[in-house]
Amino acid sequence: MAKHETPLLDELEKGPWPSFVTDIKRQAEKKPECWDILGQLELSYVEKITHWKHGGIVGVFGYGGGIVGRYSDLPKRFPGVEHFHTVRLAQPASKYYSTKHLRDLCDLWEKYGSGMTNMHGSTGDMVMLGCRTEALEPFFYEMTHNLNQDLGGSGSNLRTPANCIGSSRCEWSCYDTEEACHQLTMHYQDEIHRPAFPYKFKFKFSGCPNDCVAAIARSDVAVIGTWRGNIRIDQAAVKEYVAGNIPSNGGAHAGRDWGKFDIQKEVINLCPTNCMWMEGGELKIDDSECTRCMHCLNVMPRALRPGAEQGATICVGAKAPILDGAQFATLIVPFMKVSADNEFEELIEFIEKIWDWWMEEGKNRERCGETMQRLGLPTFIKVMGLDPLPQHIKEPRSNPYVFWQEEEVPGGFDRDVEEFRARHAA
Amino acid sequence: MALSKDELKAAILKKAETAPKPQLYIKDFYACDPDAKPREIKNVANDLVKEGKLMFWSSGSTTMYAMKSRIKDEEGTSGVN
Repeated sequence: MAKHETPLLDELEKGPWPSFVTDIKRQAEKKPECWDILGQLELSYVEKITHWKHGGIVGVFGYGGGIVGRYSDLPKRFPGVEHFHTVRLAQPASKYYSTKHLRDLCDLWEKYGSGMTNMHGSTGDMVMLGCRTEALEPFFYEMTHNLNQDLGGSGSNLRTPANCIGSSRCEWSCYDTEEACHQLTMHYQDEIHRPAFPYKFKFKFSGCPNDCVAAIARSDVAVIGTWRGNIRIDQAAVKEYVAGNIPSNGGAHAGRDWGKFDIQKEVINLCPTNCMWMEGGELKIDDSECTRCMHCLNVMPRALRPGAEQGATICVGAKAPILDGAQFATLIVPFMKVSADNEFEELIEFIEKIWDWWMEEGKNRERCGETMQRLGLPTFIKVMGLDPLPQHIKEPRSNPYVFWQEEEVPGGFDRDVEEFRARHAA
Repeated sequence: MALSKDELKAAILKKAETAPKPQLYIKDFYACDPDAKPREIKNVANDLVKEGKLMFWSSGSTTMYAMKSRIKDEEGTSGVN
């Protein structure tokens, strides 16, 4: 029996798509506080103003992240959502978990919270929606002691690191993303659970330039697998693709008849740098021009493989904000060996150099990429102890990030103007 | 660090007690010891939280530090902004 009239929300149940309103009504049969979510939301639709208060002192002992406080500003009218805190749980690497673990988590959340979840939040966490302040500590105790599950990051902390499935299932992965994500998560437990920075900070690990976790768009440090040297070509397999004996794209998009596979049209002509051609029945690639778009490898996975010398490209400074538009990461290190053999030492050293600089120079609530933009790429690469590289510049002259210092120019910036004008008229 | 750890703790607590706003960003404490590295300040501020002398105040996207006595009980009040 509905506690509140919700005519506006009811409209959202009439389409052919799944409806969160229906889901919440179903949950409200078990957890009556969920009626008050609907009541408060209906009121917000009518008044066009939120009734959630945001933030506060909620947390669990020893942790400075993982819980986001939510309160209703109409607690007497909607007592079920007087407290409605969000709990972020660290997702396992690649989001591999057993159904038993998910059931256990859901059972625990039914016991202490509203039972509502959000799988998964933007950072990747499993998000538990709605519990009272007094339920937080017992929930946390049972979750950590019985389910071996930890909270994720929130606030000005290192956010829960995320990675693609990597070499566990993907042949394109150029390094072990799961190992990297796990080791860095364990290494930076303090930064994940307690605030350390001017604002949030995210790592994401993608095994290849397909970038399945969108690291380049979403993370302050994007570790994206790549290779040096040539794409490995199996010419016999190329011939099989051309003959139509192997389905392109690994058989994906096979739901309709696209006609005979045409390597010229579907691969060579779509190469963004025009670095591929057929010669004597063989596929040729000018690898020096390859920009790792991955299209040819995606279309012909049995014929083309990433080069043998593998590592990662490190890009820094992405963010996906609500207010002022997304910012992609800037390439900083074109190739870095990323290996568990040395416990990801080079990557850790790189990250900590960024932190030392950003903690000093970053303004409050300023993402690392914004600090880079404000102070300039030359400053950033100098701080990182790197030399300017051609890869730092998107196109010559259109975004001249790199400026010479006077001491780097033979003879400095002083010159004989009359002598110059003798050769170049004004 | 120019200050000892105890001196830095005292300076941070004084700042938290006297700042016009009750919630402070970690950067607001940097001036307590300009010679200390930001990570050292952060570690000392987090130690004060462990000791119960400061508390974390989270907006969800940003975490700040505050003295409990300066923050209204948020439950059922308008103390949280």
